[in-house]
Order: sequence, then structure tokens, then C-alpha cells
Amino acid sequence: MGLSAEYVAKETFTNLWRNRLMALAAVLTVAVSLSLVGTALLLRQAVNRQIGAVANNVNLQIFVNPGAANSELTYIRQEIKATPQIESCTYLNSEASYNQAKQLLKGQKTVLSVLSPATVPTDFRCQLHNPNQAATVGALFSAGIPGIYKVTWPGQSIHVMEQVTGVLQLILLIVAIALMVSSLVLILNAIRMAIFARRREVSVMKLVGATNWFIRIPFMAEGLVQGLLGSLVAVGIVLLSNWGLSYLSDRVQALAQATVPSGDLIVTEIIVVLIGLVVGVAGSSAAVRRFLDV
Amino acid sequence: MIRFDGVNKTYKGGSPALKDISLDIQKGEFVFLVGSSGSGKTTFLKLILREEKPDQGTIYVAGRDIGALSSWKVPHLRRNLGCVFQDFRLLPNKTVAENVAFALEVIGRPRHIITTQVAQVLDLVGLGQKSTRMPDELSGGEQQRVAVARAFVNRPLVLLADEPTGNLDPTTSQGIMSLLDRINRTGTTVVMATHDVGIVDSMRRRVIELDRGTLVRDQARGVYGLGDEMHTSTSGLPAVPLADAFREFADAKERDRTDKKAGYPVKEPAHTETKPSVVSRSYSVKARRGNR
Repeated sequence: MGLSAEYVAKETFTNLWRNRLMALAAVLTVAVSLSLVGTALLLRQAVNRQIGAVANNVNLQIFVNPGAANSELTYIRQEIKATPQIESCTYLNSEASYNQAKQLLKGQKTVLSVLSPATVPTDFRCQLHNPNQAATVGALFSAGIPGIYKVTWPGQSIHVMEQVTGVLQLILLIVAIALMVSSLVLILNAIRMAIFARRREVSVMKLVGATNWFIRIPFMAEGLVQGLLGSLVAVGIVLLSNWGLSYLSDRVQALAQATVPSGDLIVTEIIVVLIGLVVGVAGSSAAVRRFLDV
Repeated sequence: MIRFDGVNKTYKGGSPALKDISLDIQKGEFVFLVGSSGSGKTTFLKLILREEKPDQGTIYVAGRDIGALSSWKVPHLRRNLGCVFQDFRLLPNKTVAENVAFALEVIGRPRHIITTQVAQVLDLVGLGQKSTRMPDELSGGEQQRVAVARAFVNRPLVLLADEPTGNLDPTTSQGIMSLLDRINRTGTTVVMATHDVGIVDSMRRRVIELDRGTLVRDQARGVYGLGDEMHTSTSGLPAVPLADAFREFADAKERDRTDKKAGYPVKEPAHTETKPSVVSRSYSVKARRGNR
């Protein structure tokens, strides 16, 4: 049917230029929406990594009453050995615990003044074979073993963290989807205007026997380009937010692991571009279907 | 070349646009399609183009049942049909040559063929010197020549013309007609819907008359209105644009009156050649109104 790439490119870009304001609106909406999608994906990956990091370091922390008797400690050690789920444990004695407390509570003089090596609880830090079993093992130790002050496992804090970021992600995704729908409609409208602007040409084309796809493809390519341009802007924004994230993780201890490796970043960017292309093609083909009766 | 076989067409909610039309148009024929507005001429042409589909009946173009054509093959049908309209339908932002070339570009002809064919056809229509002009720099007649060039550049089997002289003065119309005649003599079938009495009468080609969707006359070397005796009285008159408007309220009553007065035999027609012409009827209306 002789549809040359040169012809499509020429038609597409003259159309875009003729309708540049509409095109700009569509492109920007796509960009904003996809930036949110990309950021939500990044956030998810960062949180997952942070959680993984926490989970890998310490799965279970067993605090021992300050000044517990040696017999009690020995018993706890035995119990730990007897538990098959526990891989290994390190014991922080009162001296080391006190030092750590001093470091953590630096600046809080009043709190520190009441602490002494004798009043600080010591603890076992344990790795499990399977971090998911922390709750089971934790329950085992918190019940009825003398000398144990309390048992914690990061599952609790991770749970809170997951909930917070989950809500955050949900909000981002809802906003992104709303924006995606509006960018679809904007692209649809832009293509509709383009079809309207060229209705004479289209009618002549039909008359002289241009094939349906010959007439349709330049319009669909226009939508595709709008989606692509929008997603490229979004790629830039996602890169920026990734940079911001690594800036944060360099400076904030709690987020030290919250970086996204470049492989995952590239996958995210590819997803963003693909969604942009899909939105562009979907919007323009809906417009072509609806407003271009060939 | 074109065959209608029991074709019926009714638009949604309207009265029938075409009723049981059966006819045959041979290759190389020049056919006038006459009848007042709303008689179904344009529907007839649209059916050939497959812009519309018949409700009943079959239409053959070049031996193929175009109703059975799948929609993606319709463009290939249209490549064999050239089209000219009353309002030219040129693209205002393209030059004369580009307008003509457009018809070849969109069907994917290679560039070197386009260049030579466009030059040839512009010479044929006598616009070789004006190929770089824009349409709005040309007169109406010249614009219509460009439209004819565009319709003919792909050497179609059939040229369909829907009142191609409707916007043009008589002299310019003659020019367009001789152009269409020349195209017809290259072997191209020409089907032309028209209101132009003078043209139909002077060309003396086959005339197909439609009246409210019915085929009322198919005459080998016909004139616009009646047979020969009436022809003498109307020939040379320019087409009357108001004729159709008047016709609406002139209709039944006026017919009786004219029949009595003129005294030629109209007995609700065994054959249609004796029907009073639209033109004479509306003229009488005009006269009557003038006398008041």
C-alpha cells in the first residue's frame, strides 16, 4: 500500500505542529501521570530493599533483664541452641549495650544520667534461617523463660513501614491512574482535532482510494508520539526522583538501604515508556475509530 | 461496466431514494443522469462509489458485485472510479500540481511516475502553465479542470461527475464538457448527474432520468426534458436553479393545469418521454407568480 515512513513522519509532525497547544497539554499530562507511576514503582522497590536489609541483619532481638543471673543467661543460650530455626546469635554484654545506648541517645543527658551498665538490658541478636519465622520463634521465647525482658523482631516495625508506604503508593497510583485517564482523553481529543482539521484531505483521500490504514496511521502515529514524548519527560523526572532518593539514603541512617540498583531503575523506566506508548496508541486509535469513518 | 440489478435504497426514516433501479451502462458510454433535486441522482453515484450500500439488489462495477466487496477492498474499487463534484473539493493549501499529485501519492505511486503523470494530465486539461498556482488563484472553471485532472490522473475506468458545471457559467461549462467528452473518447465511461438543460440537449448522449427514486426514462440520444417537439422550445435556455424550489409547490395542481393548457397528451405515463419537463413547468409557475 506504499505507506512510506517518510510520509508518516512528515504528516505526523506537521499535524503535531499545527495542533501544538493541544499536543503540549496531552504530552504534559502523560508526563505528570507517568512520573507518578514511575515514582510509585521506585518507592516500592526502595522500601522493599530497605525492609530486606533490616530483615537480613537482625531477625530477632532477645532482651535480657538487667542484672540477670548467669544461670539464666546460660539457660537462654541453651534454649537458643535448641531452637532449630535460629541460625546464630551474638550476645551484647552490659558494657557493649551501654555503649550503644550512649551512642543512640547522644545529647539526651537526662536519660543517659539514669542509665548505667547495670541498668541497661543486654540482648541477643539473632539471625534466623527464614526471617519470616520471626513471629513464631519470638513467641517461643517471650513466654515463660526466666530472665527474658522482652523479645522483639523487626516484623512489627516493618509492618508499620509497609503499611505507610502501601498507603502512599496507593494514593500515588490512584492519582496516576486518574491522570492517565485524563491524558488518554486529552490525546483522544488532540487526535480528534487533527482529524477535524484535515477532514477535507481525508475525504479526498477516501475518494481517490487511499486505503484505510493509509489514512489512519499518521493520526495513530501522532498519538504514539505524544505518548512517547510524555513518557520521555517522565523518564527524566523519575531519574531525578531516584537521585533525590539516593541523596536521602546517603544522609539519613534509617534509609541507608533505600536505594534502587540501576538494573531496577532501567526496568522502571522501560515500564514508564511502555505505558506512555500504550496510552498514546489507545487514545489515538479510539479517536480514529470514533471520528474517522473510513 | 456498471450494472444496477433491482436496486432499492431508502435512507433511515425517509422515503425511498431509489426504487427498483435496473440498468446497464456499457464501457465507453457517456451517460447523463437527470432529474430534479432529491430524485436520487447523488444516491445513484454514491452507490457506485460504495459510499452507500443498497438495501436490495446488486450493483456490478467492471463485472464485480461491489456489495460483496469487503470493506478493505473498497479503496481499490475507488481507484478505478474518478470523481468530480460541483464544489471542486480541491485542497486549498496545495498547489495545482500538488492537488493532482495527492491522488497518486495516497495510493502509493512512486515519485517519478507521479511527476510525469501529473504533468501529462495537466497538459490534457490545459493547465500545464498553472501547475504552481494555488487553487484560490484560479477561476472556477480552472479549478474544476484541476478537479477533473485529479479524477483522471489515475486513468480510471469510470468518471463520475456530480453536477460538475453547477457552479459555472455556460461558456465555462462548455469547456468542462468538451474536456469530459475528450476523456470519454479515450474509452473512459462517464456518468454525469446534471441539471444543465443546455448541455444535455447539445451533447445528445444517453439520458437516464430519475423522478423521486424511480427510473422514468432511459433514452439513447436524449435531451434534458421531453422528446423532440418539446426540445425545440426549451433548448438553449440556461438551467434554472429555482426550478427545483418551485417544483415542490407546483407539483400536482400545476400539472393538471399545464396539461389542459398545453394540450399535449399526458395520460399518467405509459412512457415517460411524454412527461412535461421540469423546466417548462416551473417556468409557468414563475410566470404565474409574476402576473399577480
